[in-house]
Amino acid sequence: MLFLQDGHGYPATASVHLTRAEWQISEAHGFSAPPRTLDSKTLPDAWQPVVLPQALPVAAHPTDGTALSTTSNITSTTWIKLSANDLSGLSGELALYGVRIKTDGTIAVYANGRLVHRAQEQGPSWNSLFTPLWIVLDKQADTAPLSEILIRLEHTPQSRIALSSVWVGPSDALRGRYYMRQWLQRDLPAMLSAAFLAVGVFALFVWLKRRHETRYLLFFNLAAVSFVGHMHYYVSRPMTQDWFAWLTSNALFWLLLVVHFFLCQLHGRPLTWLTRVLVGGIVLISVLTLPGIAVLPVFPSTSLLVPLVYGIAVLVGTTVALTGGVSAWHRSEDGRLVALGIGGGVMLGIPDWLLHNNFLSPEGWFLGAYTNAVTFGLFGVLMYRRYLSAIGEVEQLNANLAQRLQAREAELEISHQRLRKVEFQQTISDERQRLMQDMHDGLGSSLISAIRMADNGGMSDAKISQILKDCLDDLKLTIDSMEPVEADLLLLLATLRFRLEPRLEGSGTTLRWEVQELPTLVWLDPSSALNILRIIQESIANILRHTRATEIRVSTALVAKGVRVNIADNGQGFDIEKALRKTSGRGLQNQLRRAQAVEGTVHWQSGPAGTLFTLWLPLVRTMLRSSV
Amino acid sequence: MHHEHSAPAPQPIHVAIVEDDLGFSDALVRVLQATPDMHLAAKAGTQAEGLHLLQGPPADVLLVDLGLPDGSGIAVIQAAVVLWPSCSIMVSTNFGDETHVMRSIEAGAAGYLLKDSSPAKMIEEIRSLASGGSPISPIIARQVLTRFRQTTPSSVGQAAVDAIASPLSTREKEVLEFIVKGFTAQEIAKLMQLSPFTVRTFVRRIYSKLKVTSKAEAIYEARTLGLLGE
Repeated sequence: MLFLQDGHGYPATASVHLTRAEWQISEAHGFSAPPRTLDSKTLPDAWQPVVLPQALPVAAHPTDGTALSTTSNITSTTWIKLSANDLSGLSGELALYGVRIKTDGTIAVYANGRLVHRAQEQGPSWNSLFTPLWIVLDKQADTAPLSEILIRLEHTPQSRIALSSVWVGPSDALRGRYYMRQWLQRDLPAMLSAAFLAVGVFALFVWLKRRHETRYLLFFNLAAVSFVGHMHYYVSRPMTQDWFAWLTSNALFWLLLVVHFFLCQLHGRPLTWLTRVLVGGIVLISVLTLPGIAVLPVFPSTSLLVPLVYGIAVLVGTTVALTGGVSAWHRSEDGRLVALGIGGGVMLGIPDWLLHNNFLSPEGWFLGAYTNAVTFGLFGVLMYRRYLSAIGEVEQLNANLAQRLQAREAELEISHQRLRKVEFQQTISDERQRLMQDMHDGLGSSLISAIRMADNGGMSDAKISQILKDCLDDLKLTIDSMEPVEADLLLLLATLRFRLEPRLEGSGTTLRWEVQELPTLVWLDPSSALNILRIIQESIANILRHTRATEIRVSTALVAKGVRVNIADNGQGFDIEKALRKTSGRGLQNQLRRAQAVEGTVHWQSGPAGTLFTLWLPLVRTMLRSSV
Repeated sequence: MHHEHSAPAPQPIHVAIVEDDLGFSDALVRVLQATPDMHLAAKAGTQAEGLHLLQGPPADVLLVDLGLPDGSGIAVIQAAVVLWPSCSIMVSTNFGDETHVMRSIEAGAAGYLLKDSSPAKMIEEIRSLASGGSPISPIIARQVLTRFRQTTPSSVGQAAVDAIASPLSTREKEVLEFIVKGFTAQEIAKLMQLSPFTVRTFVRRIYSKLKVTSKAEAIYEARTLGLLGE
């Protein structure tokens, strides 16, 4: 009765894979605690061979003839015996490892007839199916070599028990296998679940600040229901009909519902009827399975219902994935992705359902634990893409902004240039007008009269020479007006004096220069300079021409809001009113006009003892441009 | 500028002329011939003739027109500074405007003569120049002041310029400031208790400083541009 996979000698570190066993089933009234020791020989000799892993068939006929199915008190006990005679070669601390034992009752394991392991004393825990079997066989208490392993499994008569193949060997050699299983089936999905929840909480906080973006809230809901829905993979609570059962079982449906809403958001179609049916059905199931109401038996009324629940879930999931996928196909890449992901999730759920229903070997993987990882990964990708595109948009926006700014700057530059050009042309035009006017009034008319005189021959050469000298003086002043006087009125007066000096020298008139420092006149441009030069030139010329003065005093003074230039002579004076009215008195009129042009004033005060001419100029001018 | 009678020199003043304007040069020749203490040493009508003229014996005063038919009188001035170092150079100008006069002074001229001056004024100016004085107008005075203000305070080429040029003295600056305000040499002489001639020699000194300064600036600029080695 010894079934060993391998009959040869083993290296000291090797372990033995036991795949052949014998089994039998017996009946009991209710679950009972396993005895401390048990000799397999005391059991009936009704052993049947079985190859592990295997889901054992339900006992066809209860040995008791009464109607057992209605009596819940009747239980079954399945015995599985693994012979390990050839394990004697193994040394060191031995351990036993198996992928899982599936039963809805208690588990007890005997090594050489001694109880070494008990589990599920309160019935199955939520995570039983996902927790691998790991028993360290204490060799000190029993020095005899390991020869037999007996497994006692209690269960309800209707449920099928299943057992994976078993490894026996040095615990160091098997531990890696055990941990790998434990990690991949339980720990890794748990970690991913927790990470999902953490990101979900992050999304919740984002939503709290940006209420209009319901996607964040949906994402949080997704993470939360995913987490709750997968808790049964990790929590070792006994399977009883309580709130936890209600939560973790219904969460799967809620998850699908949230995914459906998410998909609707992505592809933008309402899918009203599907939504109604889903919401209605899922709310109905959730309400009916409430522990307080319990119209429907709350899962884990196990064996029957769990497969049913998974079936419905797979169906709903497929519906959601398909409708979502179809709706999103041409509308939203994200939606397509989610639909595909949910489809994948459903695919992952199918092995779970098959395992629960013993269609798959009990050594299979419950891949449903990874649906969370898929969902997380999927929405992670969505978030990643969204983040990247947001960065791209910001960059694009910045680039646009920079471009617009540049364009604007260029525009400004162009208009500035245009403005400068216009201004420049305006200046040139003003200047030309000014010079034209000046030439016309002064130089031009003087030259014309000189030519006329020369032509008529009625004039002496000396007279013509004098007129031409006057013309040259005019021209010099025009040139001086364009020299850089740097807003210095005194420098302007000095220049005038410098020019008039030769004339004065020959006239026998003394010029007394009694000027004093004056503030800068910022408005003193060439145009204004020429006006001022002409006013004073005219004034001195008048004195020399008409008054027979022997002394001219030029003085300057700073007065309120302006400066004053005084030109006093000791000549015989003249009648100002008359002079202004006379047509030949154009000189005085010109002085008035020119003074107005620079927003200044001229004033005469004449008497027998002489004349005082005053030119007042403002410190600040209100009008921008002046014309001659 | 006001004249000042210096004692007639025992030696006549030798005047050389480089002038394109026939009217002016004829008038000038006549004036020189009529003046016993003046002597027309040489006469040229183009830049080439002018440069050739400089190969001969140096005159006391050289009168140069800037607008010569075959080139600028500036070149003649520059050559004269080298070939006739003891000669006083004078520019003949229609208007005595700032641009022409400043350029001439920077090239080495000591004064200028307005072409419409009376014969008496011409003689007076030549005499004054020969004896070491220089004329100045208010606008030129302002320009010179500005030039030294730009150069003296912490400009980039400060060290280089300082090494060759000395800044204006207080009195020189004072003279210039009076001129800018319109005072004549006589008035300034009275105000500063100097002789009018001294005022004119001040102006000459200022001009030579301006020439050195502008040369130093040119050298400094050439160095910074890498046109000249150390």
